[in-house]
Amino acid sequence: MSSFTPEKVIETVAFLATLFLLPPLLVGVIRKTKARMQNRIGAPYFQPYYDLLKLLNKNETISKHTSWMFRSTAAFNFSFLVVLAFLAPWTSFHPVEINGDLFLILYLFGLCRFFTVLSALDAGSAFGGFGASREVTLALLLEPAVMMCLASLGVVAQTSNLTDVFNYTNVSLSTQPALWFLAGMGLFLASLVELSRMPADDPTTHLELTMVHEAMILENSAANLALTEYSHCLKILILLGISCQCLLHACPYFWHTTALIRGGASVLAIVMMAAFVALIESVAVKLRWTKLPEFIAYSVAMSIFCVLIALGRNL
Amino acid sequence: MVLDTFEALAMLAAMLGILILGTNDLRTNLAFYSMHTTAIAAETAWIGHLTHENHLFWIAGCVFLIKSVSIPYFLKWVIRKVDVGTDTGAFIAAPLSMHLGAFTVGLSYLISKQIPGLVGDADSTLGSTAAMSILFTGVLLMLTRRAAISQIVGFLVLENGIYLFAVTQTHGMPLLVEMGLLLEVLVAVMVAGLLLFNIKKSFEHIDVSQMTELKD
Repeated sequence: MSSFTPEKVIETVAFLATLFLLPPLLVGVIRKTKARMQNRIGAPYFQPYYDLLKLLNKNETISKHTSWMFRSTAAFNFSFLVVLAFLAPWTSFHPVEINGDLFLILYLFGLCRFFTVLSALDAGSAFGGFGASREVTLALLLEPAVMMCLASLGVVAQTSNLTDVFNYTNVSLSTQPALWFLAGMGLFLASLVELSRMPADDPTTHLELTMVHEAMILENSAANLALTEYSHCLKILILLGISCQCLLHACPYFWHTTALIRGGASVLAIVMMAAFVALIESVAVKLRWTKLPEFIAYSVAMSIFCVLIALGRNL
Repeated sequence: MVLDTFEALAMLAAMLGILILGTNDLRTNLAFYSMHTTAIAAETAWIGHLTHENHLFWIAGCVFLIKSVSIPYFLKWVIRKVDVGTDTGAFIAAPLSMHLGAFTVGLSYLISKQIPGLVGDADSTLGSTAAMSILFTGVLLMLTRRAAISQIVGFLVLENGIYLFAVTQTHGMPLLVEMGLLLEVLVAVMVAGLLLFNIKKSFEHIDVSQMTELKD
């Protein structure tokens, strides 16, 4: 951050606008695409914004058995995710150069999950308990996959700073489209589970047998729920953004183009990825809970291939 | 390592082969098998393009038509007739065998470096790495699965491995030999498929682990 050049100002404004305005739109895009796939008109693209505003104006109900943990979790998670948005390489433009260490990013996500799980247990409802248990089980299975995908990129780039890995300057990474593609696929499969989208969890039902994420936020209402929903949208943005960036890095074209095209492409890619998620949700069925490790195993297999490529890069 | 198209297609075939191991669902297995064979056909066509040997294009077309369209189609029909959708009770859990398969790629690389007589360039080393890991994949499929359909898929993957080894090392056998091989594979699958009907009729299951018991 040297000085306030006009480019820097535009970059900062674009970053903040994308960060705070795009997330609910992604949910809107997903819902609209799903509706169109089912031959419905569907809610308008901006419906999630109205929903959030509506929730903010409602009166909040808090169970008298809960402690401060339940009340503050939404705020904790929101602030963690905003910090993550500044650290994680989900777009090609970043107003500030922070050392986005891969372990820091991964375990900030872990901290988010920790607080969500604690607040789910805090309310003492049966749903919260099993939602939390399922979430932790999934996290346990996913962590090696995400870690190995990102770490193999880091090994090739010889740094654990993801900002350096993803900024189109590393020479040894520019010749590895296969590695980028596999990492992108692995992260995409992992984020489908992490975001509790279709093969893992059906985000539209409120049936106790199928819920993972919904079961944990069942006790939230009004402003708390608005903040939780918004944090979830932000998580969609960041996770889909990271896998999009991996896939964009796999195209040699983006290594030799201007920052403007890269920035536009990264935002467009996230929106298209959201539509693609909706497409998958329209044609795929939800997997049975016991079948889920098999699905996650594909993500782990991708990450093992990444590791093999990273190890064999000097051969 | 920087992959060129030759190596990338070979490794893609190996990777798709390994993904077959990841699920017990027979239809998904066949879909992955079909993609895996398409990658091998593309590799054959690419070698034909590199070496300017036109008969390789014909072989690629036949491989695509017979192995990645007709055989999966036929096996899907068999699955529908026999009415067995999933392979229950693999000896090694499917995700685990997939990860095992992924590690055999590294093992195959180490082995291919040791084989005497291979041409020493990177192309043939990686080609034989891919071929050998496809061989391992086929062996894993045949050893760990119970349903007889998986045995057929395992056999086909094994055959693909041998074929890929031949085509990457020697840049293609004569057209006549390849055609004979393809025909034989087709016949073998047909016979195995028809045999399945009889097995299903007399045993009322297609679980190979229980076929050692005598029954009258």
